Amino acid sequence: MEIQAAIEGAITQVGRVLLGKDAQVRLALCCLFARGHLLIEDLPGMGKTTLSHALADVLGLSCKRVQFTSDLLPADILGVSVYDRNHGNFSFHPGPIFTQVLLADEINRTTPRTQSALLEAMAEGQVTIEGETRLLPQPFFVIATQNPIHQAGTYPLPESQLDRFLMRLQLGYPDPRAERQMFVDRHSGSGAPTSLPRCIEPRQLAAIRSGVAEVNTSDNLLDYLQRLVARSRQGGEFAVGLSPRGALALLECARTWAFMAGRNHVVPEDLQAVLPAVAGHRLIPSGDYADDGQALVALLQRTVDVIRP
Amino acid sequence: MTGQELLPRNALVWIIISQFALLAPHLARLPVWVILVYLVAACWRTMVHQGRWSYPRRWTKLGLILAGFGAIVASYGNLLGLEPMVALLLTAFALKLLELVQRKDAYVLLFLGYFICVTSFLFSQDIVLVLYSLFTVVLVTTALVALHQPGENRFRPGTIRLPATMLAQAFPLMLVLFFLFPRIGPLWTVPVKSHAAKTGVSDFMKPGDISSLSQSGEMAFTVQFEGPIPAQSALYWRGLVFSVLEEGAWRSLRRSEIPAAETRPSIPDKADETPLAYSVLMTPTRQNWLYSLRYAESSQSGLLSTADFRLFTPVEIEDQFRYRARSWLAAPLDIQLSSWRRRAELALPEGENPRSVQLARDMRATSNSDAEFVDAVLGWFNRESFVYTLQPPLLGQNPMDQFLFQTRRGFCEHYAYAFVLMMRAAGVPARVIAGYQGGEVNPVNRTVIVRQFDAHAWAEVWLPGQGWVRVDPTGAVAPERIEFGLEQALVTEGSFLANSPLSLLRYRGVGWVNMLRLRYEALTYRWQSWVVGFNSEQQYQLLEDLFGSIRARNFVILFLVSGILVLVPVAWLLLGRRQQRRANATQQCYLDFCTLLARRGLSRDPGEAPASFAHRVALGNPALAGWAQQFTRDFNHLAYAHDGLAAGEYRRLLAALRAQLRQIP
Repeated sequence: MEIQAAIEGAITQVGRVLLGKDAQVRLALCCLFARGHLLIEDLPGMGKTTLSHALADVLGLSCKRVQFTSDLLPADILGVSVYDRNHGNFSFHPGPIFTQVLLADEINRTTPRTQSALLEAMAEGQVTIEGETRLLPQPFFVIATQNPIHQAGTYPLPESQLDRFLMRLQLGYPDPRAERQMFVDRHSGSGAPTSLPRCIEPRQLAAIRSGVAEVNTSDNLLDYLQRLVARSRQGGEFAVGLSPRGALALLECARTWAFMAGRNHVVPEDLQAVLPAVAGHRLIPSGDYADDGQALVALLQRTVDVIRP
Repeated sequence: MTGQELLPRNALVWIIISQFALLAPHLARLPVWVILVYLVAACWRTMVHQGRWSYPRRWTKLGLILAGFGAIVASYGNLLGLEPMVALLLTAFALKLLELVQRKDAYVLLFLGYFICVTSFLFSQDIVLVLYSLFTVVLVTTALVALHQPGENRFRPGTIRLPATMLAQAFPLMLVLFFLFPRIGPLWTVPVKSHAAKTGVSDFMKPGDISSLSQSGEMAFTVQFEGPIPAQSALYWRGLVFSVLEEGAWRSLRRSEIPAAETRPSIPDKADETPLAYSVLMTPTRQNWLYSLRYAESSQSGLLSTADFRLFTPVEIEDQFRYRARSWLAAPLDIQLSSWRRRAELALPEGENPRSVQLARDMRATSNSDAEFVDAVLGWFNRESFVYTLQPPLLGQNPMDQFLFQTRRGFCEHYAYAFVLMMRAAGVPARVIAGYQGGEVNPVNRTVIVRQFDAHAWAEVWLPGQGWVRVDPTGAVAPERIEFGLEQALVTEGSFLANSPLSLLRYRGVGWVNMLRLRYEALTYRWQSWVVGFNSEQQYQLLEDLFGSIRARNFVILFLVSGILVLVPVAWLLLGRRQQRRANATQQCYLDFCTLLARRGLSRDPGEAPASFAHRVALGNPALAGWAQQFTRDFNHLAYAHDGLAAGEYRRLLAALRAQLRQIP
């Protein structure tokens, strides 16, 4: 319960800088607790970067930020070896990737070459530079933001790389009350704090891991999961259904979600809560449904009965 | 209506195919217009599927129904009876195609199809028909399978593979059930009286009767001897004894005409002879007499003997019937003839056939004894220019005078008639016997097949000291009929089976055709005795052969074992999924909860999880909030919190959950 209280505290803290987005904040935390990388997709100015910073702050992790541009090269992220005249040898200058939380801003503005350099690091937890493999600090999270694909000057991430992100979140416009609050705060100067206090200790992070591992998934729930997955593969709405990796990701997130709610077992609501964020970017609509993944997920959820019919 | 409910084209094609396949075995019995109905219905439904025509309107349908009824009444004369009923069912089956909109309509149609498949057994249980019916079952099942493959928008012949496999898998189980599962008599039966004509030898005989029977190659009965098969010329299968000549026709004595003292046969002396034992498998005759060699006894229950040494059953033989009998060929019959019997066997109508009567009296006067007189008459038949033919001329007044002195062309019944007439005229008791003579030995399984064209009539005369003696006047005219059968006797005339050019029997001369036919007949015999005729009695016999003596206790054990044999795999399948059953019980309880709420106007969406639903219920009906949330909590706990609860604990929790359902405020 102490952990759950800490998590609630973290959510409250992030809520101070990102008003009215508690649901997304909770999902983002869930993603990080499940050891997954997070992709935040929305229009510019919706608070993507704010959210990323706030998350790093409340987790008390070291954080670096890279602004991805079209001329960014892999070495700019991973680091380079530079000749040191004093010692007469090459010394490695680690790039910004050597951190616990990497904010990859506007990841789809850079070329596929650079994207893939980052994504290898995400999958492996290590980078190989000039033949030498270097481990990244643990834990290692990437919080990437991207603009919607149809904006000009973007290189959309291929499906295989999208799959490396555990969740994709969309922030959306704030609700009117939160937005009004924001205006008032800015005007009065009381404003959002520039940095947030750490809410979750490293040992608590480890405790969350072990706690999640003990969350029970019953046969009934696995049944439901399987029916969801099967529907996504068989229905005509999806060109590509959920992969086994996608299904595993779904299950892992649902367990984390259940743990965050202080439960030791997963109920269907847990799956449904994480489903849009986890499955949205993995499902590809078929031609007849030129719609985005989120709407399809909603359809998927509506058509699969929770209780075995 | 959603797309799912519409029939896939594949299913529609399979449905139409199976309809025609089910119609096929009935074709010979149906009026031609029924086929037309099938074609029209199939075309109409196809046009509907292609969107060119529409479904028939209500009034059109009503019109079609009335027209169907009317046409059947017009074709058959009435609606009652097996054949019109089946025709009605088949017509309805075709018209139902025009009502085929959704999947549930197709269910009705296809289940009716299974029933129609069975109706063809009302008319025949032939092995070929059974194989064909298995095929139609596969077709109907294929249509059912195709019904459940949405989006199959073209015809796929491969759909048949799954049902064929399923039927093949069910086959061993079917055999076990058929042979071993105890047969309990039907709890109710429908009196099935078909209008099929009586077949075989009839209970009165006019000249020309038997020759018409001889046009048919149909099987009358099959005999299996326990020992060696006697010679062809000894196989006189007695069926009827004609003792009364009346209005130009011979008939049996009626029961009412026989005095009570004369109804029982006098048991002959048969001490020093080993009997011939055999069993006879009869095709249904719708008559009640049986065929046996002379002097026959049977210990089978339900078989009775008459005073003229025949076997019969009190009920007509509507189904295939098997009986066992033993015969003593040389046993003397009625050494003493009662005075009533003598009078009966001498009676002749007054004033008929005067020339024949006169001839007989003259011949008797020149003979020393009755036996000599018999020989003299046979000799006379042999010497004079009598012809054995299947095409005898018609006879008018005093038929025997005409036959003996003018036409002299006749079939066995003419000779038997004339001979008995002459015997009686001369004061020798005699009578006509009708039945079958000979039969074909099938070397494949050592049975004797007796066919309709083996039908025969001969005579018995009573001689002092010998009793009834068989005399076959046909043998005096055409000895080859007795030795080699009808075909040889008619070889010069060429009239054997002249009306059935396709009968395999006509090609007995061709070696391989004959062998094929004999093998098929051996198979049929086995089929008839093991499958069609398999009743509780035979099952009992089989079980006795398999497991030794059957006592009540063993029978009960067998009953249980065969029941278990069937139920255990089923139980194993069901119990093996215990976890799943639990899931089902829990979820069923939740569904009941949903039903309760639905009655109060709060229905759950399919994708709505329990807690979300409970939340919505609380908003929609605050009075139910506490109850619904408590129930949902407990349900979630039971359904999702644990796996592998102990059975007792699980039952307790489930019972508690169910109890909550009753406490709905």
